[in-house]
Amino acid sequence: MRPRIQGCSYRLGCVLPNLNNPRKCEAAVKLKTFLAFVGPSVLAMVGLIAIPLLGVIYLSVYNSHVKTEIVEVESSVPLFGGLTKTTVEKVPQPVLDENGQPVKVWEYVGGRNYDTVADPGGLVTALTKDRSQTADGEPAGLAQRLNGMYRDITDIDFWGALEFTLLYAFVTTPCILVFGFILAMAVHSVIKWLRGPLIFASLLPFIITPVVGSLSIYWLFLDNAVIAALLEQLGAGKVYFLKDAITIRTLIILYGVWHVTPFAFVILYAGLQTVPQDALQAAMVDGATYWQRIRFIIIPHLRALFSFIILIHLMDAYRIFEPVLVFGSNLFANSLQYLTYYILNFEDNYSKAAASAILTVIGICILLLPVLRRTYREQKGGA
Amino acid sequence: MKRIVILAMVAALFLAPAIATAACEVEGSGEVNVISNSFPVLELIANTMKACANDNLKIEYKLTTEHKEETAQALAASSSPYDLVQVSNTTIPAWQAAGQLQPMNDLVDKYRDQYKLEDSMLIRIGGDIMAVAFQVNAQHLFYRTDLLEKHGIAVPKTYDEVLAAAEKLKSEESIEFPLGGTYKSGWNLAQEFINMFMGMGGEFFKPGTAEPSLNSEAGVKALEMMKKLMAYMSPNALALDTTAIMQQFQQGKIAMATLWASRAAKMDDEAESKVVGLIEFTAAPSASKGAHPATTLWWDGFSLAKNMDGDRDLAFQMIMLGLSEEVVKANNDVAIWLRSAYKPTRFSKGVAESAMGGAPSYPMQPQISMVHAAIGNNIGDFLAGKESAEESLADVEAEYTKAAKEKGFIK
Repeated sequence: MRPRIQGCSYRLGCVLPNLNNPRKCEAAVKLKTFLAFVGPSVLAMVGLIAIPLLGVIYLSVYNSHVKTEIVEVESSVPLFGGLTKTTVEKVPQPVLDENGQPVKVWEYVGGRNYDTVADPGGLVTALTKDRSQTADGEPAGLAQRLNGMYRDITDIDFWGALEFTLLYAFVTTPCILVFGFILAMAVHSVIKWLRGPLIFASLLPFIITPVVGSLSIYWLFLDNAVIAALLEQLGAGKVYFLKDAITIRTLIILYGVWHVTPFAFVILYAGLQTVPQDALQAAMVDGATYWQRIRFIIIPHLRALFSFIILIHLMDAYRIFEPVLVFGSNLFANSLQYLTYYILNFEDNYSKAAASAILTVIGICILLLPVLRRTYREQKGGA
Repeated sequence: MKRIVILAMVAALFLAPAIATAACEVEGSGEVNVISNSFPVLELIANTMKACANDNLKIEYKLTTEHKEETAQALAASSSPYDLVQVSNTTIPAWQAAGQLQPMNDLVDKYRDQYKLEDSMLIRIGGDIMAVAFQVNAQHLFYRTDLLEKHGIAVPKTYDEVLAAAEKLKSEESIEFPLGGTYKSGWNLAQEFINMFMGMGGEFFKPGTAEPSLNSEAGVKALEMMKKLMAYMSPNALALDTTAIMQQFQQGKIAMATLWASRAAKMDDEAESKVVGLIEFTAAPSASKGAHPATTLWWDGFSLAKNMDGDRDLAFQMIMLGLSEEVVKANNDVAIWLRSAYKPTRFSKGVAESAMGGAPSYPMQPQISMVHAAIGNNIGDFLAGKESAEESLADVEAEYTKAAKEKGFIK
């Protein structure tokens, strides 16, 4: 039987579950003691997570603004050196109530904010649009039709953002697992005194604040920046990394892998310390090669940790933000988190931003569902 | 010896506040809270205001590049933690239209003579004085005098002349690209478009409404001109911001660009620049012959929050002290000041010539920030070759219309 993580029984207050039968409990604490232990963290979770989340949901179904009317207004502003410019324009101005205060509109809009953010109507139009002919009236091939559809879908902010967000999540996840595992195996096999410094060095990218890390990547790959200049010295000619979607997306993904691999590494490295030595030795006696030991003993032993890393990283990757902001390239690579930021700051609409944030939460839940189900089954089945 | 040093230090400690209070003749006591963006001239103003603090007067000044978001929240609250807020062309229209700022006509009358307040510093909206401004800024033409002379090129007055000059400069081997431009997708790119669009005679809104009219002849012409200019810039252009273009100049990689006046002095900064003394400044080029320079004039100033909890009289005096004539005289080169005490330098030439040439102010409609955002979010698709000019302008209009409806600007 595979050893499994202890402490999870389905009876409240069970501190020592029966390993052979998860429904039985060897030792339990009194309900009162149990609640005293668990209570504070439940309270903190309600106060710091549940209530704010409910608040965001509440905001997302309302819309608010100051009531305005268009009136003729004369305004004057300074130009330079004592000159001013006066203009008369029809400009929206606040409607005032009897006390001279601006009238505020606060209306319930139901799912309207969700609809405008996700634009399902736009998606349907993009999917069902007749593309049988090209602009020149020629019959369009399948590739042309798909390309046109892809262009129209990604032209909608939400779906364009979702596309790169998912691409980023699904490309970086396997990469960090593989690189993290290789790194962990490598550090695990070097002599002991070297391990400390190596672990520290490997963790550095993870310690660096994302916005700083993103900025460094941006500065490394700008015109005449270190990497571009180096490549030119090496005879690769002038390379412009920030000129199209492929290179910018590659840079952002490479940044993601560089930034999160240490996280996978440190978890897997800790896991490697618990691999049963007797099983490994028995395998060696049986003539198992290095690869066979990794394949049949080490990787199965670390399986729960791989799930854990996937779980956490998918959550993080879905909220990718800093590199998109720094590259300023929502033109070439947008993300859902950036979309929320954009709505909040540039459209100055916190209700719609709340809807966008809730859509992100829902997206993460959908993405995590398979992983969570699998983990639950493994825990329950004990297999 | 040691004792003398200590004595001097103690003396300095006692003298410093004395000097500060001597410069500050504020009537009243209490607390003044200020919030502003963070750049050199504002740091100077912050220090000037803070030096006025004494036992009866507390000054809290917050400098932050996130001031726009924070100020918006403060003004929307029932009581603002900030009495004074820094405003500019982009921020004041929306806050004024939401009724979040208060008129200061009475205070201007009361203190006009005491602080030598000048009319050219006042921002008036519909008869009310809503802000006191201190500096102006604008994008205008920066060019390499040596290279233009070498190739026998006259200083370009229109963008067609810029294109002709760029074609000639292609053969110049000391530079990498003839042109630079703050074309970073998003805010910067939208600002370049607005300059060009207004230069082409474009109108953002249908007359008398808040409905967009960007998908017009002027809009398409502006985009096409930008694409032509882009052909002479770095292939990375859509990812390069003001700082990156400033560095391209400083490194001698480009010959011409329209750049912010606030970066002009950096061209002669010997620690950073390889082209000290080689760059001159003039009005932004016109989008067509005879038109005004294709740029917009910007200003920065201070306003009083309507929902402030402090003393408005005291807060207004703080603005006056921070923007006093003495401050301008002692720090002439830190900004292009609006006070007449400011002595223009060669770094302010571009703004002066643009203003004289009739360059408009950045639009003062409250919904313009949404237009600006929608432009930045969509026209990159055209410049990157993904869409036609009309398609991307239609996207701008659709996105703006949606946002403006939610904010009640369009019924």
